[in-house]
Amino acid sequence: MKKTRLKGREIIAIVLLIIGFKLADTTPAQYAQEGKNAFWLMPIVSLLVMLPSFLLLMYLLKKYKDKNLIQLIFSILGKKVGVFMGFIIFLLSYLLLILSARNYTNQITMLYFPESPTTVIMFLFLTVIFFGAKRGLQAIGTATYITLPYLKLSILVLAAAIIPKVVWLRIFPIFGDGLGTILLEGAKRGSIFFDLFILTIAYTAITSNKSFAKGIYFGGAIAFMEIIFFFLLYTTLFDYKSIDKIAFPFHDVTQYVNFGEFFTNVETFFMVFWLGAAFLRFVILIYFGSWLLGETLQLDEFEPLIFPLTLFVFPFSMIVENTITNELIFRNYLLSITTPVLIIFPIILWIVAKSKGALTK
Amino acid sequence: MKKQYYLFFIASLLFVLTGCYDRIELEQQAYVIAIGIDLTDKEEEKGVFKFTYQIANPEVGTTASGGGADEPARETVTLKGSDLMSATTTANAFVSKELKLDHTKVIVISEEFARTGEFLRVLQTAGRTTQLRGGVQILVSKENAKDFLNNNKPIMEKRPHKYYQLMLNRATEVGIIPDANIHRFFQITEGDADLYLAPYATTEIEEPKEYEGEENFIAGNVPQEGGSQSQFMGSAVFKEGQMIDILNGAETRVAATLDNTVELTSVFSTYQDPIKPEYQIAGSFIKKQNTSVEIDYKKNGTTTIDVKVPFQMEIFAIPSLVNYSQNMKNQDLLKKSIEEQLTSFAEDLIKKSQEEYGSDPFYWSLYVRDHFKTIKEYEDADWNKKIFPNADINITYELERLEFGKMINDTNLNEVRD
Amino acid sequence: MFPLFKKSENKENKQQTNVDKVSIYKDIKKNEQYTKQLFSSDINKDFTFRTVTAKYCDKQVDMFFYSSIVNNEKIYKGIVRPLLEADGKTITDVITIESLTEIKDFDTVVNQINSGKAVIFIDDEDTAYSVNVADFQARTVQKPENERVVRGPKEAFTEGLGTNVSLIRKRFHNRNLIAETALVGERSQLEVSLMYVNDLVDKDILKNVKDRLENLSVDNISNVELLEQYLEERPYSLFPTILYTERPDYAAQFIEDGYIVLLMDNSSAALILPATFWSFFHSPEDRYSRFLFGNFTRILRMTAFAITILSSATYIAITNFHSEMIPPDLLLAITNSRERIPLPLFIEVIIMEIAFELIREAGIRVPNPLGPTIGIVGALILGQAAVEAGIISPIIVIVAALSGLTSFAISNTSLNTAVRISRFLFIFSASFFGMFSLVGALFLWVIYMASIKSFGVPYFSPLSPSFKSSGDMYFRNIIKHEMWRPGQIKPNNLQKKNIPNKGDSKP
Repeated sequence: MKKTRLKGREIIAIVLLIIGFKLADTTPAQYAQEGKNAFWLMPIVSLLVMLPSFLLLMYLLKKYKDKNLIQLIFSILGKKVGVFMGFIIFLLSYLLLILSARNYTNQITMLYFPESPTTVIMFLFLTVIFFGAKRGLQAIGTATYITLPYLKLSILVLAAAIIPKVVWLRIFPIFGDGLGTILLEGAKRGSIFFDLFILTIAYTAITSNKSFAKGIYFGGAIAFMEIIFFFLLYTTLFDYKSIDKIAFPFHDVTQYVNFGEFFTNVETFFMVFWLGAAFLRFVILIYFGSWLLGETLQLDEFEPLIFPLTLFVFPFSMIVENTITNELIFRNYLLSITTPVLIIFPIILWIVAKSKGALTK
Repeated sequence: MKKQYYLFFIASLLFVLTGCYDRIELEQQAYVIAIGIDLTDKEEEKGVFKFTYQIANPEVGTTASGGGADEPARETVTLKGSDLMSATTTANAFVSKELKLDHTKVIVISEEFARTGEFLRVLQTAGRTTQLRGGVQILVSKENAKDFLNNNKPIMEKRPHKYYQLMLNRATEVGIIPDANIHRFFQITEGDADLYLAPYATTEIEEPKEYEGEENFIAGNVPQEGGSQSQFMGSAVFKEGQMIDILNGAETRVAATLDNTVELTSVFSTYQDPIKPEYQIAGSFIKKQNTSVEIDYKKNGTTTIDVKVPFQMEIFAIPSLVNYSQNMKNQDLLKKSIEEQLTSFAEDLIKKSQEEYGSDPFYWSLYVRDHFKTIKEYEDADWNKKIFPNADINITYELERLEFGKMINDTNLNEVRD
Repeated sequence: MFPLFKKSENKENKQQTNVDKVSIYKDIKKNEQYTKQLFSSDINKDFTFRTVTAKYCDKQVDMFFYSSIVNNEKIYKGIVRPLLEADGKTITDVITIESLTEIKDFDTVVNQINSGKAVIFIDDEDTAYSVNVADFQARTVQKPENERVVRGPKEAFTEGLGTNVSLIRKRFHNRNLIAETALVGERSQLEVSLMYVNDLVDKDILKNVKDRLENLSVDNISNVELLEQYLEERPYSLFPTILYTERPDYAAQFIEDGYIVLLMDNSSAALILPATFWSFFHSPEDRYSRFLFGNFTRILRMTAFAITILSSATYIAITNFHSEMIPPDLLLAITNSRERIPLPLFIEVIIMEIAFELIREAGIRVPNPLGPTIGIVGALILGQAAVEAGIISPIIVIVAALSGLTSFAISNTSLNTAVRISRFLFIFSASFFGMFSLVGALFLWVIYMASIKSFGVPYFSPLSPSFKSSGDMYFRNIIKHEMWRPGQIKPNNLQKKNIPNKGDSKP
């Protein structure tokens, strides 16, 4: 992959967008199913579970220098195992993408276009994403960096509008359904940081490896704090009995807040930015997904893959009957099987590399 | 590559041409400002309710050109239905436009209906759609909601949304009705520990009772001459989604001072003059700091709750003309007297809620939560059955500052008459 | 974009013409006859031929030129009189006028005569001479018409290359300021002047520009407006990638920073490249105004930019799809005004937007004396009457007028057009799925813009991808603190000035 002129700041922007905006999708609802009013503590557990593996991966990338994620796997594990592993990573990321694409279109139809068929919205959504992803990594990075301030500003405005309405004492009882549940369920959902692993495919496309690492750590840290803060706001705005009933906390909150007496229904304002973020998110995910597949199949040009991959999202995402099954059964299940894969594969890489003696150089 | 583009382009064009599913012009919609919910007259119709929609007429009250000035500002329609959303659709049988609930400001429920406890069921459906927002206010009317909406004809504010907005805001600010929206209703009712207060209102005005102080009224018996026919005063107490009692204006106000989750800036009310008890002193109760609620939870034993309400007071009127502002001794007396009056009033309310209601309308269950680590422990401890009704509650009002308005002293009446 | 084989083909062509070149004959009669035939002198009335006998060598001398594009006095004083009167050994001693070029073949003869020179043939010599006596008609330097400023110089480029070069040189005195010439066009060869500072400009970009100029295979490119279209990479693109300005001071500013400026004879404007989004977005006055006011205008322009692109589209999206968002008072007011309108809101908006564009277009094309009336008639008839007739609701007039008026705040003509077209795109997209399709279109618009490159320079640089620069993007810095040249064009010397003393600028 050729180098782009992107620097650490674009990586920060991308991380902030794809991890940070999880606060606005169904991730909080998923967490709240198990964690109740203590669900804001669960991402901390998820992070702690994923962090060692991720650091190990970054260490390996640093050691091997000009290799991206898949090239690294190939050079450590050899071609056969490498293809297998690359394919698993691609498949997981692509399946998650399909499910969340369905999820997003459902949110759009349910909340804003109740009379339009989901298929049409999905089609339009994918069309935009395809044309966006076609423009290439540098354009995606630039567009993310340019639009991110506005997107984040809207989130900040929302936080400012929620804060007067929250009741902080609702965080108690502090461990919700119990510490055990939080630890277990939090650990299971470590895969919300999956996207960080996927991003390492761009390791070599940035001006320098150092700025990539800086960007991903820095962006990850900010996004993590953002998520925790917003989860806390959700907890304190809804009580423990109500929080697990809400499918789309972000939209419920935007429906509830108001800007003074005159602007009482402001959810469309937030929806605009949320949508912008959603488009960008999926463009990034589709692009990186194609890249993963392209590298795994060792193609010279992976960009032709964007079209079929975008196209296949359409029929696959329509298989599931309704949002709730999609969300609570399939996506939940997928997320929990992704977590062990993510934890284990950097360790395997490390052990093999160590036994080969490649790390001592 | 080029072919793909064209294919996509043409396909998207097709969709674009057939699109427009949700497009609707403004004049094809009718904006419901208030919804009323009643029981039907017949006993046997279980699960069927009467819904009343008050729709704003856009042609009244605008300066923009166009006729319709002699039309009424609102249209009120009533029909039966099993739930809110299906009734809204049915209403199109006789309303020419699509009903939109997005701009609804209040939901009015009749006292009769509220006491059945069915309200929660009806409101649940609202949560599944996006049209009814968490910020919509709940109002309990003494008469049927239908009658309330029909009789409610404000004189100054022609447009109904403006009327509800202004009326509810102002009454909430002075504290005679609670600030109660759907969101809070769900949080408290689902939380299943505390009592929910909803504003109480009526358009049926009784013969005025004897004068008992400015705020010891509930809606309907505030002596009033002239003005709009509707009154907002006091609050309906909901326990587990069912209305159980009415608090008068003063009690509502006290409940608000004890609850940190409602916003209360300044409350105007009267107190007995400690030196000349036949007179009243008027002042504004200002809450600058949060009420401190400290709960000493004992698993097997009496829990003690210490409540401290720090407040400030600005005196407006001293009809007795006793010199409180400069005489320090009098001032101390006044301070003590106000604190005592408030404390005893609050104690009465707390006693009532402990004994009659078995729960509190102050959202105090929040303060006991940090004694528990998990929800299960907390629910087992059972706030509204075990802890609160048996708790030992000490309440103190602390007057931190006393101000006397912009006049140093009152005119001495005797001197004037001399 | 220019495949290699094409290049070599061109060269071959050129070589072939070299072979065919007719060299000057020794016999003056033959020369005379051949030249006359080349220029069809019997029907070409302003093609002039004169014969004199030179005093210094006592030989016949023939002279050819176009009388319409030469200075007759110069010919008389500089050529005819010396030939008749002066003594000397060679012609260079006789004709002492500024430039005297030797010519060996007839192709050059043709070129020289076409570009306003007089060509002299001397009997018994196989060398002709050309003397520069050109005097093309051109306007004098006037005020800029389209890029007006309140504070700042008021000279504009004019349709003469010499004048234009001089206007730039006047503003930047440096021996490294080069005015290199390239020829474009095959049938009519015209000069393009590339101006740049030799020790600042990035050689790659310069080479890229020169290559592209060289590889243009067209008969005629008569001015920079056409040249721009031949040079740009994406002719279908909505966004301009070459900056077009009629202000020499603005062009000089860019030259100083290491950009390249192209000038031509028949245009009262210059092309500046490479251009980024920011260079279109800025106006020269932003720098001439003091720091705060300059940035205040930037804020205004950003607001105007947003309003002009999105106001009509947002209005359609919100009223047609998201009516819950409008505050009730406003909602009722709009609904009331729409009660008796016979058209859907989308059509209403389109009618007004097109009407506004028509008024604007008419305002440009209408003969001068009628100019002012068009605006008044248009506004009055279309606005007032349409509202009173109940075809248009009054709020649409406000929305359309607002989006139309604010578009004037974007002073650059190229970006202005792009923005106006985008506005219609957004209006259409908003009418399909409200905010959803609007945001989608906006998103594609932004990501497309992010992917554009102008001569290898990303459109949004130096914001992203980031480069060291003076930070002149959304807002500009205090001039004293602008230390760096724009890094995205890779100038050879990045630092503009030394780091100023902190004490220099107190708030």
